[in-house]
Amino acid sequence: MILHQIEALKDVGVTEVILAINYRPEVMINFLKDFEDKLGIKITCSQETEPLGTAGPLALARGKLVDGSGEPFFVLNSDVISEYPFAELIRFHKSHGGEATIMVTKVDEPSKYGVVVMDEETGRVDRFVEKPKIFVGNKINAGIYLLNPSVLDHIELRPTSIEKEVFPKISAGQKLYAMVLPGFWMDIGQPKDYITGLRLYLDSLRKKAPSRLAAGPHIVGNVLVHENAVIGEGCLIGPDVAIGPGCVIESGVRLSRCTVMRGVRIKKHSCVSSSIIGWHSTVGQWARIENMTILGEDVHVSDEVYSNGGVVLPHKEIKSSILKPEIVM
Amino acid sequence: MASSQEKAVAVILMGGPTKGTRFRPLSLNVPKPLVPLAGQPMVNHPISACKRIPNLARIYLIGFYEEREFALYVSSISYELRVPVRYLREDKPLGSAGGIYKFRDHIMEENPCHIFLLNCDVCCSFPLSEMLDAHRRHGGMGTILVIKVSAETANQFGELVADPITNEVLHYTERPETFVNDLINCGVYVFTPQIFTIIEGVILQGNNTVNLRRETSLEAFQSVAKVLPPEFVRLDQDILTPLAGKKKLYTYETVDFWEQIKTPGMSLRCSGLYLSQFRQTAPHLLATGDGTRSPSITGDVLIHPSAKVHVTAKIGPNVSVSANARVGAGVRLIGCIILDDVDIKENAVVINSIVGWKSSIGRWARVQGEGDYNEKLGITILGEAVAVEDEVVVINSIILPNKTLNISVQEEIIL
Repeated sequence: MILHQIEALKDVGVTEVILAINYRPEVMINFLKDFEDKLGIKITCSQETEPLGTAGPLALARGKLVDGSGEPFFVLNSDVISEYPFAELIRFHKSHGGEATIMVTKVDEPSKYGVVVMDEETGRVDRFVEKPKIFVGNKINAGIYLLNPSVLDHIELRPTSIEKEVFPKISAGQKLYAMVLPGFWMDIGQPKDYITGLRLYLDSLRKKAPSRLAAGPHIVGNVLVHENAVIGEGCLIGPDVAIGPGCVIESGVRLSRCTVMRGVRIKKHSCVSSSIIGWHSTVGQWARIENMTILGEDVHVSDEVYSNGGVVLPHKEIKSSILKPEIVM
Repeated sequence: MASSQEKAVAVILMGGPTKGTRFRPLSLNVPKPLVPLAGQPMVNHPISACKRIPNLARIYLIGFYEEREFALYVSSISYELRVPVRYLREDKPLGSAGGIYKFRDHIMEENPCHIFLLNCDVCCSFPLSEMLDAHRRHGGMGTILVIKVSAETANQFGELVADPITNEVLHYTERPETFVNDLINCGVYVFTPQIFTIIEGVILQGNNTVNLRRETSLEAFQSVAKVLPPEFVRLDQDILTPLAGKKKLYTYETVDFWEQIKTPGMSLRCSGLYLSQFRQTAPHLLATGDGTRSPSITGDVLIHPSAKVHVTAKIGPNVSVSANARVGAGVRLIGCIILDDVDIKENAVVINSIVGWKSSIGRWARVQGEGDYNEKLGITILGEAVAVEDEVVVINSIILPNKTLNISVQEEIIL
């Protein structure tokens, strides 16, 4: 997920990415070390020793963010996916001359979120309303910001919320602007939303780079297959499927609306839908995996097993069916 | 050493459409005795067992069904087994003993010395010729096939106490509330023609007292509200219970399997019992294969010669596939009965289920039961002509005939 964001940042000329992390930073750093060279971008880490909320981490990283050039910096929420139109964001930010620009996205049910009330013409933000009971607007915070370094003067090094404390202050000074995010947006913090996000992403890929999607008599709808993956005969794959590197999909398999991560083997005649199959797991012959089943890393589902929404923690074997959604530790 | 003069007849009690409603939905369109298990209609199993009776003259099937429902069956099974089989229709309920009394002239037509009486929905090894030997040794009026069961389940049946040396029935009670004994009545008997005299005696005396124990409140209401006709005679309460201890009834104990086939779930279990019996008695009936030139077979599997099964399918254990069924590539069948003309498409999975005649199961569909034969929704049953569409999942459900399922269901009865 994070690579999509880093690549998009690189494309608009970002040269350094700082990961604000509070848990096991070495895992992220090790993973991203390979990409540092490949992408030609510097990746460092700023570790919170206590949780600092959504704004505090920026104060923590102040030393790295303020480089004296006065240029604005991006802040991204890593759970969010979209088309990352950063070039347009930069243009808009420079044109209005304000202190901060946040991207907003239109949603159908704004009262589930924090709504940004803004002037539709200029984009200037009037106020934030958290989970409004009556309709005040249908744009919500998309979790993508472009901030001038002066914003850091508003943030103390303590647990701080950017939506509740920092942005309202800047907006009161008429210096906060919002830009409506074009294209798709999804907060994929929950696995169910991840599957929806996959669909949105693949839809967008169909429009922008259709040659990257798979094609063939065994493919239905939008399907992304890594070049190292192998698919057997008599399969039916799609719609909305992503298959990672090193995967083996044996013959007679049906996959729909699912993600198959690196190194997974899906054995013959099985059927996987609306689920996430974690790295290096296996799905047995004639198994049936569906309804938001999530298999963690290295989970092995025996032949003929049925899983209806099982959430299985890593390094487990599933030998008997899971008839109703439950967590398997 | 049965003398060649000693003829025998067999009578099989089949019940009727208003009885055995627990066997729905399979019995909605087909009489319960004709519903297949282990590749043959249910009543075939006791009928085939009767073939082992020395000097068997004739088999009578007694039931409440319309004659035309059994006309074809009776003539084809008579031809196939080379023994006359005849269906006699009861037109009003007379009780299990009253029914055979009504047809005594037919039954005695050939002057048999031995009259076997079997219930159609009993699943067992039917050791009939051994029973006959024991019966002749006892010299009594009747011999009852009995089996030991667990003390907890015994009170669902008729419990007997027998003398361990003479095998005489000392005490008999039907469905007692308290524990009497763990020896129960299997529903298979052999009588001398004296049985008719006994039944006649009961009718003439009007001695058919209602068993006051273990009545439902409905039965109690009915027995007050209406008087049972004198011809209504039940074998257990009116004949066996009074005769116990009078040196007339004896027992023959079987140690083989025994079950009652009251529900489709039990028919799946009993199909498995008969299939494993075939492995001893008729192994040529069972399928074999390893996936190279014929499909992979594991455990006891029976496949009708006219059925088409793809070589990449894997079948068993405990599967019976009936005539003209089609099983597609990559299908997995476990613990199921697939009835005639069923079409199962590629990569589908059927586990612990009964798939009704002419049904179809789509690609990658999954029809599954948990496998608890005694639970109401313990297996999945698809009635006649049910269509399960591609990728649909059906679990622990009963689907009545002619339905099309395009969404998955779990633990439901679809009317």
